[in-house]
Amino acid sequence: MKSVALNIISSAKIYAPNKIEDLDEKRLAPNMMMRRRLTRNSRIMLYLADKCNFKGGKIVYGSCFSEIEETAKIANAILEKSMLSPTSFQNSVYNTAPSYFSLINKDTDEIITVSSGMKTSLDALKTAALQALVSGEKILCVCSECINIKNVEEINKCTDFLEAGAAVVVEIAKNEDNAKEIESLHVTGIMDSLQDLMSVVNMHENGTDVIRIEL
Amino acid sequence: MKSYINNYELWCNAGDIKSLMEAIYSKNSALVEDKTFLKDTTAGLGIMEYDDIYSLMREVVTKVLKNSNLDNFKNTLLILGSSVGGMQECEDIFYEQKSYKNIDPNRLSMNALTDSLVKEFGFYDSRAISTACTSSANALLLAKRLIDVDAYENVLVVGADGLCRSTVMGFHALSVLSSTKCKPFDKSRSGMNVAEAVAVVLVQNIQTNNSIELKGVGASSDAYHMTNPNPEALGAIVSMQNALKDAKLSKEDIDYINAHGTATLANDKVEALGVEKLFGNSVYVNSTKAITGHTLGAAGAIEAIVSCEVIKRFLIPPQTGLENQENLNIKINKESVKMRVRNVISNSFAFGGNNTSILIGECK
Repeated sequence: MKSVALNIISSAKIYAPNKIEDLDEKRLAPNMMMRRRLTRNSRIMLYLADKCNFKGGKIVYGSCFSEIEETAKIANAILEKSMLSPTSFQNSVYNTAPSYFSLINKDTDEIITVSSGMKTSLDALKTAALQALVSGEKILCVCSECINIKNVEEINKCTDFLEAGAAVVVEIAKNEDNAKEIESLHVTGIMDSLQDLMSVVNMHENGTDVIRIEL
Repeated sequence: MKSYINNYELWCNAGDIKSLMEAIYSKNSALVEDKTFLKDTTAGLGIMEYDDIYSLMREVVTKVLKNSNLDNFKNTLLILGSSVGGMQECEDIFYEQKSYKNIDPNRLSMNALTDSLVKEFGFYDSRAISTACTSSANALLLAKRLIDVDAYENVLVVGADGLCRSTVMGFHALSVLSSTKCKPFDKSRSGMNVAEAVAVVLVQNIQTNNSIELKGVGASSDAYHMTNPNPEALGAIVSMQNALKDAKLSKEDIDYINAHGTATLANDKVEALGVEKLFGNSVYVNSTKAITGHTLGAAGAIEAIVSCEVIKRFLIPPQTGLENQENLNIKINKESVKMRVRNVISNSFAFGGNNTSILIGECK
């Protein structure tokens, strides 16, 4: 199977046990009406994209559980026979976060959303590599998980951090000589769905600029 | 490297592909008006007969493998497109027990569906795509690109979505759900019908006697609104243009457009405008969702299969349910048209302004 070498142009990560504070939303989403509708994943994605200095272009977003908060709101509204919020429904799809990025930044380029369970971020990186190879462009690969919902303790057995995300901007490397395989530089307690991308961010922070990945 | 659609099968409210094509050509909608999900009103729904989404997927994938040139899927990449994944089973547990305690999070994710197929068939690798109603169209987009760059010889695309209370009631909350069978592109259309389906498409790098070529894929984002399309149809147009560019074809090479055509007021108006601006009335266009309903994440794969059949049968299907066409500047046929169909564009559009166009055509 084919592999490619990717330049890591920029990277960022963020996580918190419960809720990430100060995601700089007022600057990143200046329109108040828009800002009020943003999901937690959307806020984290906007923050990470900004930290990576990504203004627009092709996006690959990954999340195992994506907008579970909105899904839970819908399920509870149905259970309680209360009014179901149209905003919750429109915000419940897995491509919500990158779609808000596209709305706010007027980015009309392609968005792909990957949700491959605990290998979500690895598959997002593979998809970003494919998009970079096909287009010759810089690609934002960003993954996040926000599972800080009421009664989450009933099901959460996999993470100490209820909100977390990581991002890289990549392009195809012209020089593959120094390309490294993805090392296991996990952040303890982070959900496995994010660990491959967290590892790549950590590799970049430790001085690695080129990685090799199978498509 | 060229990409070929060599085998496919599906299961939807009309049955398998043979039954579905019969329903499409005879304008016999398989939609029902059902009270299951909504207390005070009916909803037009596309409900299929099946035990559960997992066993149905295995059944349809088995048929495709049996009819393919492969002995197994050990060198095949699986790409699944779904908008709800394992939610159907999990919401049933939640509504019954009023608690998350007995929900296995791994059964909630999109990957629940791919995991079950990987266990059964031993795929080389798998990934799941979830971009709402473009999910399996984007799975096809990635399949073509992976074959283009010679990364894989075989990619199996599965589009799968089962009906969930949350999706039916969510679309109802958005006021886009029709209480009756939908009427795409009609002046009096009143909304869409949520439906369910499984569609399986084998994409390969070799041509067989039965091949349809996957010639081009295109995508775009509207960057306009979370649920309403750009009123100038800019996103839809760019998506179709990108598919033409990828296929190295011009608009004159297209004979039929299988439209997204959900029958919502906004989609059909904008999609018709996009087709008008790009093609004028030079190409036949219609929506087979009048038969199947909107199968959400499975729709892209379902409609790619229907488009393959249209090319093979030399027969453009009629628009079911059409009485008074809203946009008279595009060519919507009320009866089947017998003709050579060289190339088809199949459109899928989704929440977030996510647009994908698949261009398939006859092999040379």
